[in-house]
Amino acid sequence: MISTDLTIILPEIVLAVYAMLALVVAVYTKKDGLAGALIWTTAALMVVLAGWIATGAGGTNLAFGGMFVDDGFSRFAKVAILLSAACVLVMSQDFMARRDFLRFEYPLLVALSAVGMMMMVSAGDLMSLYMGLELQSLALYVVAAMRRDSVRSTEAGLKYFVLGALSSGLLLYGASLVYGFSGTTLFSGIIQTTQHGEVSLGLLFGLIFLISGLAFKVSAVPFHMWTPDVYEGSPTPVTAFFATAPKVAAMGLFARVLHDAFGGAVADWQQVIVLLSVMSMFLGAVAAIGQHDIKRLMAYSSIAHMGYALIGLAAGTEAGVKAMLMYMAIYVTMNVGTFAFILMMERDGQPVTNIDALRQYAKREPGKALAVLILMFSLAGVPPMLGFFAKLGVWQAGVQAGLIWLVVASAVASAIGAFYYLRIVFYMYFGEDTDSQLDSNNSPVLWGALMASAALMLIGVFYQFGVEGAAAAAAATLVN
Amino acid sequence: MSLFLIAALPFLGAVFPALLIRAGRNASSMAAGSVTLLALVGLLINAPAVIRGEVITARLDWLPWLGLNANFFLDGLGLLFAGLILGIGLLIILYARFYLSREDPMGQFYTYLLLFQGAMVGIVLSDNILLLLVFWELTSLSSFLLIGYWKHLPEGRQGARMALAVTGSGGLAMIGGMLILGNIVGSYDLTVILQNKELIQSSPLYLPALILILLGCFTKSAQFPFHFWLPHAMAAPTPVSAYLHSATMVKAGLFLMARMWPVLAGTSEWFYIVATTGLVTMLLGAVIALFKDDLKALLAFSTVSHLGLITMLLGFGTKVAAMAAVFHIVNHATFKAALFMTAGIVDHETHTRDIKKLGGLRHLMPLTFTIATIASLSMAGIPPFNGFLSKEKMLEETVHTVWMGSHYLVPALAVLAALFSAAYSFRYIWHVFMGPVRHSYPAHPHDPGPGLWLAPGFLVTLVVLIGLFPNTMVGPLVETAGNAVIGGGHEHFHAKIWHGFTPALYMSMIATVGGIALLMSQRRLAAVWDAARRPEAKEIFDALIAAVTRASQWFTDALHNGALTRYAAIFVVFTLALAGYAYSTGTMAAPTREMLPVSAMPIVGWICIMGATACVVAFHRNRLLALVLMGIVGLVVSMGFNYLSAPDLALTQISVEVVTIVLLLLALNFMPKETPVESTPARRIRDVVLSVTAGLGVGGLIYALLGRDFSAPSIADYHLENSYSGGGGTNVVNVILVDFRGFDTFGEITVLGIAAVVIYALTEAILSSRVRARLLNRVMDTPQAGDAHPLMMVVATRVMMPIALMVAAYIFFRGHNLPGGGFIAGLIAAIAVIMQYMASGFGWAAERQRIPYHGIIGSGVLVAAVTGMGAWFNGLPFLTSAFGYVHIEPLEEFELATAALFDLGVFLAVVGAVMLALESLARFAWQPGIIPEHPMDINPERDEDGPQTSGQEA
Repeated sequence: MISTDLTIILPEIVLAVYAMLALVVAVYTKKDGLAGALIWTTAALMVVLAGWIATGAGGTNLAFGGMFVDDGFSRFAKVAILLSAACVLVMSQDFMARRDFLRFEYPLLVALSAVGMMMMVSAGDLMSLYMGLELQSLALYVVAAMRRDSVRSTEAGLKYFVLGALSSGLLLYGASLVYGFSGTTLFSGIIQTTQHGEVSLGLLFGLIFLISGLAFKVSAVPFHMWTPDVYEGSPTPVTAFFATAPKVAAMGLFARVLHDAFGGAVADWQQVIVLLSVMSMFLGAVAAIGQHDIKRLMAYSSIAHMGYALIGLAAGTEAGVKAMLMYMAIYVTMNVGTFAFILMMERDGQPVTNIDALRQYAKREPGKALAVLILMFSLAGVPPMLGFFAKLGVWQAGVQAGLIWLVVASAVASAIGAFYYLRIVFYMYFGEDTDSQLDSNNSPVLWGALMASAALMLIGVFYQFGVEGAAAAAAATLVN
Repeated sequence: MSLFLIAALPFLGAVFPALLIRAGRNASSMAAGSVTLLALVGLLINAPAVIRGEVITARLDWLPWLGLNANFFLDGLGLLFAGLILGIGLLIILYARFYLSREDPMGQFYTYLLLFQGAMVGIVLSDNILLLLVFWELTSLSSFLLIGYWKHLPEGRQGARMALAVTGSGGLAMIGGMLILGNIVGSYDLTVILQNKELIQSSPLYLPALILILLGCFTKSAQFPFHFWLPHAMAAPTPVSAYLHSATMVKAGLFLMARMWPVLAGTSEWFYIVATTGLVTMLLGAVIALFKDDLKALLAFSTVSHLGLITMLLGFGTKVAAMAAVFHIVNHATFKAALFMTAGIVDHETHTRDIKKLGGLRHLMPLTFTIATIASLSMAGIPPFNGFLSKEKMLEETVHTVWMGSHYLVPALAVLAALFSAAYSFRYIWHVFMGPVRHSYPAHPHDPGPGLWLAPGFLVTLVVLIGLFPNTMVGPLVETAGNAVIGGGHEHFHAKIWHGFTPALYMSMIATVGGIALLMSQRRLAAVWDAARRPEAKEIFDALIAAVTRASQWFTDALHNGALTRYAAIFVVFTLALAGYAYSTGTMAAPTREMLPVSAMPIVGWICIMGATACVVAFHRNRLLALVLMGIVGLVVSMGFNYLSAPDLALTQISVEVVTIVLLLLALNFMPKETPVESTPARRIRDVVLSVTAGLGVGGLIYALLGRDFSAPSIADYHLENSYSGGGGTNVVNVILVDFRGFDTFGEITVLGIAAVVIYALTEAILSSRVRARLLNRVMDTPQAGDAHPLMMVVATRVMMPIALMVAAYIFFRGHNLPGGGFIAGLIAAIAVIMQYMASGFGWAAERQRIPYHGIIGSGVLVAAVTGMGAWFNGLPFLTSAFGYVHIEPLEEFELATAALFDLGVFLAVVGAVMLALESLARFAWQPGIIPEHPMDINPERDEDGPQTSGQEA
């Protein structure tokens, strides 16, 4: 019994034990001298685990009495989480080492937060949900404030922590209400009480508070307030991490709660998700127009993208979940590439985040500029880049679910949002020359990540590497 | 040849020019040319079948889950457009070979051009609207690269940006329209959509879909009010202008309108939106074109005008008009591409495009003059050229058109537009080629080599031939294309130069004569025109962008100003809103529980709590007072527990309260006594309103919940039943802590220990930094008590210590069956020790403390863990408790339970954690040298003057 449970949860255990052992080893040996090696071993372990999870036995396995669910959906999300976390880790090394804040805790905190994320997407119970969520969040609070000598980084971490605590409190309150009015914390039990049609008011309040707490984690408007400040204040590699794996995990958890626990009461949460989605898309599109700090810009961009992904959730259908998963996979790929580029932006060894520095970039670095062009068009959702198909998928799911106005609003928002992505391209190709040019940083890892991500935006249009089939299977296991 | 291959050829071939540029410019252009030629040949092979009325299809599933299939079909309309795109493309490739100078990267140019060509062919052959969208945006993308090709020109940059911004957003809006359309029909395949006219037009979503799709078409085809981007895009090299901005890309919008004509046209919405836009664009473009001095700008606005003409014809919604539109598309493509090329030749030879600097070129460039004249006359609508034929047809259609009840409005405006059109066409001939030869050209003009004039020459030959023999030359093509636009039914195409004295002929004559008259007075009118202030589209666009940017910046700054309180306020507001939504949509069952009667005691407690809480908020700036008030809240809560017969909770609460207040007092000692005022009154009012609302909301929610039963029975009964039989204790709270939920408790004491160690680490880190020096040198802002260790207190605490420890032991041992337990006992013991620190001073107490607190915490956790593991040896799960009753003489029978051992772990961990936290904080205050070493330890031998009782210590 217990050994079966442990077998199911083995990937998480391996990663957690690794992180703790490495922590002890690093503390008692060379400390930060080990950081570089730890980054690579952590990333390698994550990739191995991702491969293990992806190729492992299929089917749905329940552990610990249903508190932990290992199914197609969680496996899809876990592979995305692990791979993107590994990518971002490897990308950070050079940047952090050269600016002298490469601490050995960083890869281990990332690993621990990855454990939390894996737990989140596998949660089958309100308690395991909270456990995963907090493990993830606590690690993230710390990495946000990694640069202790930077006031902005510290402020970012503190803000994130305070607001995060507020949202966690709300989520817990919601969870306790749900427990009180359904008599169980197991999702499989909750769905039985909601399936009889009428959802009692207490349960509804619980659901709303749960959604609010989760909306904070996916940084959906109006619970997004932390995002721009934290993205801007955190060190760039940390921002890159924020923009990728945790978003997948939070979206996965969101989908799991809504479908596994409240799948019978779609009508009760659909309007709320629609509202979050519309507000996110428009705020993300409008607020970024005036931004010249590329990290802040990416913060609004991620808010908007979460809005689009939420359309898939709002649809409340299997097609919607599938579209959402595809969206997240594509979104993460785009962001890895974009942040690889942002990590390369530097002048005299100092990171630069103002997009004005990109003027006439295409003349100096045509290859990289082309890759960024592809990524920006993809982020904007311009066909034929992969980003367009991501949007198309959620839009179709939305239209099929009857959310016509949401989709139309979303198309309008994406037209507005295209403005700031294209402005970057415009600066690179047609901007007036400035004196303050970027240095050419050709870290092979970053260059590789940028090019691979850009290439995927084109190749993905013709061949999806089986991701589409996996997403379909994942959605099927979640919704049915 | 397969349609796939035709569509793919330009894309596949796009790599060759870039690669072959190393082999020379000829090789590169030959590669581009042969790829295009191959595609054209492939198309023409299919032409006879299409003209016979067949529709050639090629189907391939691409992304079936999105409904996106790589389906192509070739009908008359597709054939016409694909032919135009590839045919003119071929001519442009030839022309560009000789036009581009040696410095221009030609390979790159051809690559972009072929990409663009492929995208255009893709649009016109697509049988799937999603596929069409993909190609549609690809044209925006590749045209962006082509327009921006000349990077050194600032206008080129501006033009590229504007073109991309306008057409790009239009395209994105169109996606929405296409999705709606696909949803109405249930398929994204064009052939299916085109057969569902009634379904689409009766749908309530018809209008939104129409508007969104038309937005895409109008932006692409530069229709009013989106016409402004096209002239600015003209900064691109002339081959690009000729290809993109006259012959192909701007016609993509027209193509789509024509493609969708069978299902979208025919309604009054269609008529009023499309026809009116077309009419306005036609007139506006023609008027502006007359006053442009830049050759290409003149042609650009004339293109806008002609695009408006075609749009208007499509907008009329009649079959004859649609046929005329198709015919004019062919004609316009031929003469306008030729005109652009001649403009390019003039620019190339004279190095200027300013009409004011030109004139008299007919003697220097006779060949160019001939070509330009024929093309211009065709544009003006002069017989026997092809422009005349389609313009006649257009004028004839306007006569039959009623706009908002008016019979004359449309024809009158159309004639006016034709008049201006004639005027600028004549101007192109007159002001550039006629007049005296000048000696002030920036270069020495002469006719170029055949490379440059062959392409426009070929086109004007077509202009003449179509004009003379329309039915033989293009009759079948226009007829099949026109019938493809119309959809159902068959419409015959017939055109002839002379068809009697019809209204159209009179209108043509008015236009021509008026045009000549207008040209005569052009110079004078131009002065008026230039003097008049009029909205400049580019400035408006720039101002709009700037305003939007400013507005967005303002919005963002207002929303995300970095203030945590604002963020929290927004958080609360929306949570309240969502809760309100939940309340309004949910249904609430009637209360199931009776309300209990209220006695005086709870009311007093309630008033105390509310009063204390209100006072905390009101006086929170005085931190000490706030702390005291918080203590009151805690005390009342513990009294509440007592009142409700929960002595365990009350005991725990009260001891926790004491310990936390003491710790907080210690921490407060190193902080300012007052919180500075940072908020404005307005913000405080906002916060009060928000927090009161949120508080009332939560209170209301709790009140509502208290009146109703939870869905599942309470777990309390289970615990009450099993406490004695399962855990061997009658104190249920304690049994829950150490037995039922032992694992939780185990986790909690571990966390407690970690927290204490973290406090230790934090203070240690601070004390080893520069802060240490500041602490040592700090000056007290308030006078300290003269007597830090009052005699009475020292004596009392020392006397009380054994008693307190005894009480702790008592509480510990009775815990299993009566109120008490390890947790409370730990707190009591800790309080006993804390009192020593307070009374006798840190140094004195620390000296007598021989076991490190870390060790106590560790041993506590270990004891608990070992107790838990003991169960394994009996084959039971971790922390399974066991108990038994022992009788040893002369004692009474008593119980031995492993839970007590576990409780001991709890006790130790609590003592250690509390003391470690206290010690860590207290070390801030520790200042060597001023601490009495022996407070109250009276030893006459050592202390001759009696005990030291003075000194400063916290």
